[in-house]
Amino acid sequence: MRRKLNLTRADRVGYLVGGIALLAWAVRRPTWFRGGAAGVGGWLLWQAYTGSNPLFRPLGIRVNPRPAEVDAHETIVVEDAVTISRPRAEVFAFWRRPGNLPRLLEADAELVRERPAVELAWRGVRAGRLAHFGSLEFRDATGARGTIVAARLEYVPSGGSLGAALARMTGHAPQRLLAESLRRARALLETGEAPSTRGQPVGPR
Amino acid sequence: MKAVCWHARLDVRVERVDDPVLINPRDAIVRVSATAICGSDLHLYGGFVPGMLKGDILGHEFMGEVVEVGPAVANLRPGDRVVVPFPIACGNCFFCRRELYSLCENSNPNAWMAEKVWGYSPSGVYGYSHLLGGYAGGQAEYARVPYADVGPLKVPDGLSDEQVLFLSDILPTGYMAAENCGIQPGDTVAVWGCGPVGLCAIACALLLGAERVIAIDRFRERLRLAALKLGAETIDYSEDSVLEALRELTGGRGPDACIDAVGMEGHAHHSVAHAYDRVKQAVMLESDRPAALREAILACRSGGTISMPGVYGGLIDQFPVGAMMNRSLTLRTGQTHVQRYMRPLLERIEAGELDPSFVVSHRMSLEDAPAAYRLFRDKQDGCIKVVLRP
Repeated sequence: MRRKLNLTRADRVGYLVGGIALLAWAVRRPTWFRGGAAGVGGWLLWQAYTGSNPLFRPLGIRVNPRPAEVDAHETIVVEDAVTISRPRAEVFAFWRRPGNLPRLLEADAELVRERPAVELAWRGVRAGRLAHFGSLEFRDATGARGTIVAARLEYVPSGGSLGAALARMTGHAPQRLLAESLRRARALLETGEAPSTRGQPVGPR
Repeated sequence: MKAVCWHARLDVRVERVDDPVLINPRDAIVRVSATAICGSDLHLYGGFVPGMLKGDILGHEFMGEVVEVGPAVANLRPGDRVVVPFPIACGNCFFCRRELYSLCENSNPNAWMAEKVWGYSPSGVYGYSHLLGGYAGGQAEYARVPYADVGPLKVPDGLSDEQVLFLSDILPTGYMAAENCGIQPGDTVAVWGCGPVGLCAIACALLLGAERVIAIDRFRERLRLAALKLGAETIDYSEDSVLEALRELTGGRGPDACIDAVGMEGHAHHSVAHAYDRVKQAVMLESDRPAALREAILACRSGGTISMPGVYGGLIDQFPVGAMMNRSLTLRTGQTHVQRYMRPLLERIEAGELDPSFVVSHRMSLEDAPAAYRLFRDKQDGCIKVVLRP
């Protein structure tokens, strides 16, 4: 079975160059320390070959080398899902409204595919260029528990896998935006309002 | 208005802040008539809970008079006297519909923070860290109450504030702790910790049919209250081995159910990021405070139940999982689903079956909150429960 890719092409080129450099440095004048460096170099080469850094695996970073959108060379994939205690048609209608589709900062969403109460797909365009694309799938939850919305978002990476990893750890990643978008939708559909503390009193910070 | 604000570890201050305003259509504003300091507030005071910011308004046990309601609140009017449950719950979601209000999926605007620590997020809570929503609390002159159409309970004028205030937290918490014991006729229940929640749990265990209740603490005034007011047998753990004493008191078999009403206090075992794990473990090694839970598990009769109303926040070590497994023990816990219990417990108070006001040891002004926190934390002057009045 193929390992999940979590390195971009640029990352892999960097790992390849770094790995060769470390090996070359170690071979010129072998010492114990340089032997260790050679080990690291070999590990980098192995990751460049497999396209997968095991340290990023717990962070759930996934690279798609062959995105469905031809404008995108490669993408980072984020997925999430939410169960909303409302009928499928109502949940679908919510996202059909302009402005409700999940989108990354400063991007405009344009609908590209629609199957009523089943699927919505869109592209996010920023300054005339494709920034991300995504889809929402709607299906009934078990036992009349409402509607499951499965979201998939692919975005063009900047900063490679390391950038994505740092963004994830600091909570600013597209993963977070997608999760907040789904959570907000559930709150609005189920309760009629989004939870907020904005404007509440606070003592001197 | 005046409000009790968290400043830093062991530093709370009464500050002048803006009055709260309606933010969402289902909000109400309550003028606070009485508010209490909860044992779990001491976890914030001691700096054991992550996600507190300087200036946060404290307090999740409060009641008062409705002064303003949002356009979507049809069941309350200005002038209504209400008690506010501490979990903030929408009433509409999967969990609220199953009466698991403290697990409401919609009320925590900072759910992502809680998910990082706990996997999924429980409900928001007033004045209980940004992990649980960062909502301004009720130790203030006024408080904003979200989802006011499902949370606040109207209370009759015939009952005093002190009789009904504890419907906001500790009475339902003690009740759920006792209910989680699955008490059968003839059962003996042991309760670790005779603070306000432990005392309420003792009262409720007896109400639910426990034949004997054994109270464990080291503060004389608390043990005396458990014995004289509630009729519990007592063990002073500073003098006796709890395991041996319980074995003797229960004919060599152990209590049928054990309630841990102590919780995490004194345990610096929280972690927001995995990177802190090592530091946290080092601190935990110096701490013997998860002793109550471990002891409850070891003491419990085989096939019995451990009920855990005490608040925990992160990770503990040395958990006696072998005793749990090999002796078929059940562990039941959770933040209290207060909204589920308020009305039936109000009926019991009205019928005279319960009167939780006996736990009150100190009545002070909101202005005196810093002194009150100190008094409660250090258990000076026989302090068991402080009620503050704005």
